[in-house]
Amino acid sequence: MIIQNSSNGHPLLEAENLTKRYEDGVLALDHVSFSVQPRQIYAMLGANGAGKTTAINLFLNFIEPTEGEARIDGIITHKEPLQAKQKVAFVSENVMLYPNFTAMQNLDFFARLGGKTNYTKDDYHHVLSRVGLQEEAHNKRLKGFSKGMRQKSGIAIAILKDAPAILLDEPTSGLDPKAGFEFIQLLHSLREEGKAILMSTHDIFRAKEIADVVGIMKQGQLVMQRTREELAGESLEKLYMEYMGKA
Amino acid sequence: MFKLIVEKELREIIGSTKFALTFGVCAVLILLTFYAGARNYQVSQKQYEAALAENLRQMEGLTDWMTVRNHRIFLPPQPLSALVTGISNDIGRNVEVRGRGEIGAEDSRYGDDPIFAVFRFLDLDFVFQIVLSLFAILFAYDAINGEKERGTLRLSFANAIPRDKYILGKIIGAFLALAVPLLIPILLGCFILPLLGVPMTGNDWLRLALVIFAGFLYFGVFLTLAVFISALTERSSSSFLMLLVVWIFAVLIVPRTSVLLAGRAVKVPSLDEHASQRSRLAAQLWSEDRNKMADFKLEKSADPEKMLSQFNSFMQKLADDREQKMQALSKRLNEERRNREAVRERVAFGLSRISPAATFSLATTNLAGTSLDLKEHYLNAATDYQQAYAKFMKEKTGMLLGGFRVMAFRNTDGEEPKKTPINPHEIPPFVYQPMPLKDVFNAALLDLGILLLFNLIFFAGAYAAFLRYDVR
Repeated sequence: MIIQNSSNGHPLLEAENLTKRYEDGVLALDHVSFSVQPRQIYAMLGANGAGKTTAINLFLNFIEPTEGEARIDGIITHKEPLQAKQKVAFVSENVMLYPNFTAMQNLDFFARLGGKTNYTKDDYHHVLSRVGLQEEAHNKRLKGFSKGMRQKSGIAIAILKDAPAILLDEPTSGLDPKAGFEFIQLLHSLREEGKAILMSTHDIFRAKEIADVVGIMKQGQLVMQRTREELAGESLEKLYMEYMGKA
Repeated sequence: MFKLIVEKELREIIGSTKFALTFGVCAVLILLTFYAGARNYQVSQKQYEAALAENLRQMEGLTDWMTVRNHRIFLPPQPLSALVTGISNDIGRNVEVRGRGEIGAEDSRYGDDPIFAVFRFLDLDFVFQIVLSLFAILFAYDAINGEKERGTLRLSFANAIPRDKYILGKIIGAFLALAVPLLIPILLGCFILPLLGVPMTGNDWLRLALVIFAGFLYFGVFLTLAVFISALTERSSSSFLMLLVVWIFAVLIVPRTSVLLAGRAVKVPSLDEHASQRSRLAAQLWSEDRNKMADFKLEKSADPEKMLSQFNSFMQKLADDREQKMQALSKRLNEERRNREAVRERVAFGLSRISPAATFSLATTNLAGTSLDLKEHYLNAATDYQQAYAKFMKEKTGMLLGGFRVMAFRNTDGEEPKKTPINPHEIPPFVYQPMPLKDVFNAALLDLGILLLFNLIFFAGAYAAFLRYDVR
C-alpha cells in the first residue's frame, strides 16, 4: 500500500483551539492545539475524562466543537465531515464488529464502506495475517473471538482503509503482552508507510516506546507536549505523575 | 453505499441463528394457517351441501306447494373467509324464508361448535397481527442502539457515510430481509389452496393479494416503529421494553377499549327491546283482527269452495294489513337501530384506528368480505331472495305465503287419485354473490391508507431521530 504524505504540506491531523463544552456545562476540551505530521505518532496521555476521546470524537465529527476546529489534511471536520473522513481511519477501544460475520466478511463490509471496492480475498487474508490474526480464524464468526482477536480485526479494517491519518482510541486496552508487542511493531510499520497516527492511551510505557510526540491531557487541557528528543533522558512516568499531581 | 448497507442488513439478519429459528416458526405457522383454512373450507362446504340436501329432502313427498314449510337458505362458505375469518363464524349461516316478514340468520359456526369460539381459528389476521408484528419487533428493536452498543455505529460513521443513506439502507434492508422470506411460505400456502380443493376465483386471488399487501404494510409499521424507537433510545433493553408496551397497547388494549368506549358513548336499543315492541304491536293487531274476524259474515253460497276462497281472501287481507303495519314498525325500529349501530361503529372504528392492529384487521376483513358488512350483505341478499321466493310461491299457490289461511280437507270414501309430488328443485336457488371487489376495495382503502401513513410517520420519525442520533 502506497501512502501519500500530506498533499498540501500542512499537518495531516491538526487541532486548533479545539474546545468542547457539553450541554450540561462540562468543559471537556479547553482550547487544545496540536498537530500530527505524516510519519509521526502522537500519543495522547491522560486520566479518564481528561478529554482524549473527546478530541478524537471531534476529529471524527461525532460531536461539533464549541470553539476552534479540527482539521484532517487541511479539511475542517465539522464543515466538510464526509471529505475529512475519507482521509482518516479509526480504531476504537472496544472493537466489537458484527458478531455474525466472519473476520473476512467484516473486513469486506468496512473496506467497502470506506470506499475500497477492489480488494480481493487474498488482500483480506494478507492484512489479517499482518495484524497477527491466525489464519484459521479468518473465516470464523466474530462472536467466538477474544477481545484481542477483535482488536486485531479492527486494526486490519483501519489498515485496509489506507487513509493517510489514523485515530486510535485506547487501542492496546485489553491486549495481552504479546499482542501489545505485535501492535507496537505494526504501528512502527504504519509510521514507516507515512501515516500520521494520533493515539489516546493510558499506557505510558508503550507511549514512550513508540511515540514521536507525547501530549498529556488534564481536565480538558493539553498541559504538556514534548517530542521524543525533548523527552530523551527524562522519565515520562515521573513527568506524567507530576502533571497529574498539579492542581 | 446504500446498496452496501442494504446488503449488510440482509446478510446480518438472514445469517443469524435467531432468524433461522423465528423464521422457521413463522413459516410453519403460515403454512398451517393455509392448510387449516383449506380444511375448514372443505368441512364448511360439506356442511353446506348437507344442509342444502336436507332442506330439499324435507320437501320430498309433498304434493302441495301450500304445505311447503321451513324452506331455508344457507350462506355458502367463501374461500377467503377460511383465511381471514372475521365475523364469518359469528353470524348465523341459515335463514328461514317464509315468503314474507322479517328474516334473521341462525346457527353460527361458533354457536354450533362453541369450542372454536374459545380460542378462535388460526387465520392470516392472527398470524400477521400477533406473530409477525412481534417478529418485526424482535429483529428491529436494536437496529440503531444495538449498533451503538456493539461499537459498529461509531466505526461505520468514522467513514464518509451520509446518515440519510444509512438509515434508509437499514430500514429497507431489514424489511427485505424479514418480509421477502415470508413470501415463500405464503406462496407455498397459495399453492395448497387449489390442491386442497378451495375454488379460488381470479377475484379471490386478487383479494388475497391485497390482504397480503395489507399484511406487509402492517409488518412495515412495526418495523419502522421499532427502528424509530431504537433511534430514540440509548439502550436496546429500553427500546425492547418500550416496544413491548406499545405492542400490548396497540394490539391488545386499544381495539377492545375503543369498542367499550363506543358502547358507552352511543346507546343502541337492544334486540329484546325491539322484539318487545313488535310483540306488543302484534298482539294489538291480532286482537283487532280477532274482532274483525268475529264480525266477518260469509256471503251465502252453496259452493263450499267459493266460501272457503271468500274466507281466505278475507284472511289474506287481514294478514296483509297486519304485515304492512308490522313491517312499517320493523322498518322504523331497524332503521333506528341501524343508524345507532352505524354511529357506534363509526365511533368504535374511529377510535380503534389509532392502533395499527385494529386498522389492519378492518382492512383485511373488508378485503376478505368477512367484515361487519357481511351480516348485512347476507341478510339483504336473503331479503331479495325472499321476494323471488314469494313470487315463485304465489305462482304455485296463487297466494302469498306466511299468513293465516284455512285449508279444506275432504273426506272421500273411494280411492283418491294419486297426486304428483312437487319438485323442490323448481324452487329458485339462492345464489350468494360476495361483495364486489370494487366495494370491498373502497371499504378497505381508508385503512390501507392509514397503514401507509403509519409507515410514513414512523419512517420519518426514525429518519429524523437518526439524523440527530449521538453515534458515539
